[in-house]
Amino acid sequence: MFRKCYWIMLEISSPRGIIGLLRQRGEEMDVIQVSGFSKNYGALQAVKHVSFTVAEGSVFGILGPNGAGKTTTMECMIGLKNRTAGKITVLGLDPEKHRHELFSDVGVQLQETVYQSAAKVFELCQLFSSMYKKPLDYRNLLDRFDLASKTKSSIGSLSGGQRQKLAIVLALIANPKIIFLDELTTGLDPGARREIWTYIRRLQSEGRTIIMTTHYMEEASLLCDQICLINQGEIVARGTVDEVITQAQIDLVITFETDGDVRSLLKDLPKMGHMKQEDSVVTIYTSSEETLTDLILKLSAASIPYRKIKITYPELEEAFLKLVNPTMKGAVS
Amino acid sequence: MFKTLTTFEFKLHVRNFFTMFFALAFPVMMLLLFGAMYGNEPSSLTGDRGTVDLMLPAYTCMIVAVTGLMSLPLTVANYREQKILKRFMATPIQPMQILVSQVVVNSITTVAGIGLLLVVAKLVYSVQFFGNVLTTLMAFLLVMISMFSLGLVIAGVTPNARAATSLAFILYFPMLFLSGASIPLYIMPKGMIVISKLLPLTYGVRLLSGVWLGDNLLDYGLELAVLVGITLVCVGLSTRFFKWE
Repeated sequence: MFRKCYWIMLEISSPRGIIGLLRQRGEEMDVIQVSGFSKNYGALQAVKHVSFTVAEGSVFGILGPNGAGKTTTMECMIGLKNRTAGKITVLGLDPEKHRHELFSDVGVQLQETVYQSAAKVFELCQLFSSMYKKPLDYRNLLDRFDLASKTKSSIGSLSGGQRQKLAIVLALIANPKIIFLDELTTGLDPGARREIWTYIRRLQSEGRTIIMTTHYMEEASLLCDQICLINQGEIVARGTVDEVITQAQIDLVITFETDGDVRSLLKDLPKMGHMKQEDSVVTIYTSSEETLTDLILKLSAASIPYRKIKITYPELEEAFLKLVNPTMKGAVS
Repeated sequence: MFKTLTTFEFKLHVRNFFTMFFALAFPVMMLLLFGAMYGNEPSSLTGDRGTVDLMLPAYTCMIVAVTGLMSLPLTVANYREQKILKRFMATPIQPMQILVSQVVVNSITTVAGIGLLLVVAKLVYSVQFFGNVLTTLMAFLLVMISMFSLGLVIAGVTPNARAATSLAFILYFPMLFLSGASIPLYIMPKGMIVISKLLPLTYGVRLLSGVWLGDNLLDYGLELAVLVGITLVCVGLSTRFFKWE
């Protein structure tokens, strides 16, 4: 009986099984579904009616200012906190009820965990290895994360970057399908941060799904396939990085240099927001790239020479600032 | 898994200088100090028993105090503050196993400290045991359980590691010096003796000293009642109010 069930399970999960067939047909599998999720701490509504899905093998970013509800959302997805309302499924299971079944499929790095400074790296790795039925070999993992030389060092002697890499190693020992990273790179120097990025890329290329919170927009732009931007417990934007930037409706900026005053010539450019000229430098704010074509046509028709023409697209950071604080005009100079 | 966890916790525990000093070295130092001052010659003042014979059971309480009131609660409170308990909640380990492993490693240190103390006392002062082994073990176990449960309350209900440290020091040091565990109460002024009656460990010292010298367990109704009462109240409090994060 048991054996039969086992074979059925195997069949379902094998590459040629049902799930494999679905994937071959190009249907994206969602490994996490969150719908109408809310979490209150007493009277405080930390997260309000949040919904999103995370596709298998993707990097999903949860962004937002401090106190927006990122960590709370993540902890409810892991089952460390109970939600107030809504539905969350991780790999088809409710993390609140099936936390234990999910442990070996879900690796976690928590923002605030400080491992015992007197412990040695290999001792922590051995401890974590002892918790799982089929752990990955921690020596290989340490090697992969350039920590092999630190195997016998105490946690207290590691640098910030090394500690974060160890946190990933400990999250990986279970060989999880999904990895939760909560502000993994906060407080690291730019070099260490970039190093961590390459590791995250590599984890994704192994087919693992990664859910990360961050408040570095550059990091999110580089790594995340999908992001959701949370502010005061509510989703303010969701989608790919480009989609979120588009949602923020921030003007493109065209600048060029010319001699003489062109303000009256250009004042009727279609779709242009506004324009200014300081000495030879002209700056045009517009909602559409077509303005550039119109600009060049007009300048050519009037035989006005132009130099150093440049178009600047809004970055995620500006979109973030605008979406989180709509009264702010953004940091465009 | 639990075995690996306990081994892991034990290694960290041994690396803690404070615990090791106050559980292993300090009691032996006290023994040698008071032994050098008073010797262990039987005297009529101490009921024809040597001073070291009388003080030894009290010194064992000193060890229980450091493991139960300092090491155990401070480790657990730090684990909570450093989100280690929370991190373990996201693994197959039950956080309760961490508490149990902490109780185990602190029990081991307690027994090791007492063992060392007894060996030194025997070798240097040929100390004598007048009681019943089983009765003494039972009394010792009760003292240990009551102090450990008090430690778990310190760990479980304080808001952060700093508060736990303050509370542990506030309980540990008076008990170390005013319960008779390190300095005999009969040399204390009256005021101190009044204070000593408010300290749970005083009752542990009295009980353990009594049975060590051959008294019956049941001669110590008040002491038993206080220690059992503390245990029940503390276990109740920590079950009800223990904060995992």
